[in-house]
Amino acid sequence: MSGHEVTKALLLKALDAATLRHQAIASNIANANSVNYRPLRVNFEEQLGFARQALAQPGGTLTAADVAGVRARLEQEPAPRAGTAAVMIDMEMVKLSQNTLQYQALLKGVSHHGSLVTTAINEGRK
Amino acid sequence: MDYFSAFAISASGMSVEKMRLDVTALNLANVHSTRGASGQLYQPLTVISTAKPGAFAAAMTQAGNASLGAQVTEVRATLTPPRLTYEPSHPDADAKGFVAYPAINPVNEMITMMTATRAYEANVAALNAARVMAMKALDIGGN
Amino acid sequence: MNVDPVGFLPPLTEVAGLQAADAGNNVGTSDFASWLAKEIGSVNDKITGSDQLLQKLATGQVDNLHQVMIALDEAKMSFQMLVQVRNKLLEAYQDVIRMSV
Repeated sequence: MSGHEVTKALLLKALDAATLRHQAIASNIANANSVNYRPLRVNFEEQLGFARQALAQPGGTLTAADVAGVRARLEQEPAPRAGTAAVMIDMEMVKLSQNTLQYQALLKGVSHHGSLVTTAINEGRK
Repeated sequence: MDYFSAFAISASGMSVEKMRLDVTALNLANVHSTRGASGQLYQPLTVISTAKPGAFAAAMTQAGNASLGAQVTEVRATLTPPRLTYEPSHPDADAKGFVAYPAINPVNEMITMMTATRAYEANVAALNAARVMAMKALDIGGN
Repeated sequence: MNVDPVGFLPPLTEVAGLQAADAGNNVGTSDFASWLAKEIGSVNDKITGSDQLLQKLATGQVDNLHQVMIALDEAKMSFQMLVQVRNKLLEAYQDVIRMSV
């Protein structure tokens, strides 16, 4: 896979992760007052631990192998201590804001990424 | 500074103010409590919050996940002498007939509650402003 | 008697300076190909740089969101400029070919 395709695949997986995260946050907010509810979270960025180190160096890019096995998945957080609330609604709202922003930034990235190929196909004609 | 850390700073401020509000509500609820869980008199609590131990100068100049923001270091029981009222028929009255109530000043607690609420709203405004800025940054380069 | 090796001679910096000046003055047609190759290389660098920033965005470690957007926009604009240069070159070439001898 060329670098271009690796980026595209990674962006699509990140979009999947953002969608899944939205569902997790919505579920947490809906179950804010449920008894024995364990909050949900999404595990995605943690799977890219080595990849992030490679990216941190100047000029480093990811390879197909880095991206292949990564998949966003839902996890349950540990049960809260007795007497404390499992879900803090204002923190969930902050996460929601952040996730929405990330989703839109990724969408912009995908469209910019694809527009390069579109320009090449159109040969610069509008 | 990326928008993740801008959100995290506002979120930390919000949780500190929420804790302050919770403690204030607890104090107000226990204005007439003569005994705490351990059998001692209930002592009014205060929240001590400090800045997170991030190096400000280094964090401002270099990008990355700087751990800035506020944190609650301690929820401390204030050692104010109790308020004594003369109620000989109260089960907790001492030998002289005085009952010790916690020295909670409702006026102070109300002021703390108001400032905590305003600080919470200010943190939410800061978070919204960060979000609007980031959304505008997404508009770079046209639609 | 001490015979110093030839290595003590200072490097011929004046000659190197003359060569650099000569290269700057040379804007003849033989250099256009290398100039074009250099420009294509720089556009490619911009595109791979914006790719790397997009990967950082996907893994959640952007330093500045506006930096990513600006880099993306720059890469797109320089690629479009390159495509237009290529179109103009092709047009000029076809004009020359159509010239009757």
